[in-house]
Amino acid sequence: MAMASSEKSASMGASWASAFLRGLARSWAFLLFFAGFFLFWEYAIDLFGIPAYILPRPSEIITRGWADIDRLLYYTYVTAVESLLGYLVAIIIAVPLGLAIAFSSFLRRTIYPFFVSLEMTPKIAFAPLFISWLGFGLLPKVIIVFLVCFFPVVLNAILAFGSLSEELVRFIRATGASPWRAFFKVRLPAALPQCFVGFKYAAINATVGATIAEFIGSDQGLGFYIQIVTGNMRPDLAFAGIFLLTLLGLALFGAVTLVERWVIPWHISQRRSH
Amino acid sequence: MMAAAIEIRSATKTYATGAEAIHAFGPSSLKVEPGEFISLVGPSGCGKSTLMLMIAGLLDCTSGEIDVGGHVVKAPETSIGIMFQDNTLVPWRTVRGNIELQIELRGLPVADYRSTVDRLINSVKLGDFAERYPYELSGGMQQRAAFCQTLVHRPGVLLLDEPLGKLDAMTREAIRRDLQTLWLADRPTVIFVTHSIEEAIQLSTRVCVISPRPGKIEKVIDIDLPWPRDLSIKRGEKFSAYASEIEEIFHGYGVL
Repeated sequence: MAMASSEKSASMGASWASAFLRGLARSWAFLLFFAGFFLFWEYAIDLFGIPAYILPRPSEIITRGWADIDRLLYYTYVTAVESLLGYLVAIIIAVPLGLAIAFSSFLRRTIYPFFVSLEMTPKIAFAPLFISWLGFGLLPKVIIVFLVCFFPVVLNAILAFGSLSEELVRFIRATGASPWRAFFKVRLPAALPQCFVGFKYAAINATVGATIAEFIGSDQGLGFYIQIVTGNMRPDLAFAGIFLLTLLGLALFGAVTLVERWVIPWHISQRRSH
Repeated sequence: MMAAAIEIRSATKTYATGAEAIHAFGPSSLKVEPGEFISLVGPSGCGKSTLMLMIAGLLDCTSGEIDVGGHVVKAPETSIGIMFQDNTLVPWRTVRGNIELQIELRGLPVADYRSTVDRLINSVKLGDFAERYPYELSGGMQQRAAFCQTLVHRPGVLLLDEPLGKLDAMTREAIRRDLQTLWLADRPTVIFVTHSIEEAIQLSTRVCVISPRPGKIEKVIDIDLPWPRDLSIKRGEKFSAYASEIEEIFHGYGVL
């Protein structure tokens, strides 16, 4: 056990480059599969005689997408802003609210059941209403992203702050610690791992919310772009948009994972050891 | 005459009320003198932990009362040290950090306790693991660290609720010995909950036998054996006689 842990701390201290190489070595099977998938796609088009207006080749998606890269990048930026704003506002409001609900039996009896039932509502169903109330601008998209991100964050925050072990609760009481001290020294750090479960789930939802909001009513953004080019029989450009949306989602999720690693390194390493 | 360290006067605990009421403990009384090592032995669910929590002020008595250090316990008793079966080590702090958590939560200056922390860590043979995280330690090492956490604010009264319950037999024996050494050195008042009759006899000045639910202190047995109680004592006739006496009581309850 002691040996395994000293190995681990040695690997943590290794340089980024060697870590990258080791990561590559570990994921070669995945990379091979990934390359194989796109190669198959590229040549299956000819093999089965699929016309380009139905399904374009990956190489065509790249070259045609590259030709329209200015518009694509600008729209990626638009969708990124909508996603990020809605996401951050959701976290800023949902975490304190989750904390309040976890500690207030009154809120747990009132707002909490309301949230649980709203969780069952597909939030995206509100999208047309917000567009009709607030128009084509940024605000209705941010609100829709906010809605799809808010619930996973608030429900996980309630769980996070409400599930401190009985032993730790007793330990805190036995020390006579003030509520503030107990919060910052024990309750908050103990709640962070579960909070991050919500943050990651919401990060996945954010770009989905932004895209659908743009489908419904918008004059810019990747969702808008995909809808327009599909209408113009340009699936190659639609795929280019989908590719950028994927990258955007990955970037957001990756950023949250990095923050998690930075904020609760003890949790990550604990998970690795099991 | 010195005041008793702990005095339990007809304390009872009933959970819930009405038809669902569960009578968990008592009424029982017990007077513990300063420096005594008292073991509570009894079957699972007999209310040993309930009594422990009531002494600590973490649970109210339904009736009766408990004195600690000469006053009636009404709120969590912060002067004592309490250790639970599931340890209270937090995963984001090292062994040292976890011990210091006890100091920090009490709002005491950590710097004043540096040497105490070091001494404790060395006394439980965790010197090389002070900067390790709990998940890097074995179960036995974790309990040793938790023990330091319980002792660091120098409590005169220790409540240990099955601290060795989840450990393997060999680790148990080793920590038992350390516990005895520490107790012999500082002579705090200890209340020790255990399932193990042997453990209770080895460590205690007196063993309280607790009946099945509702738990009552049925018998208090003075253990008149020399210290330190090592293997030779445990193999002795007197030790076996105490063990049979306690086993006999549990046999009478039908739990053994």
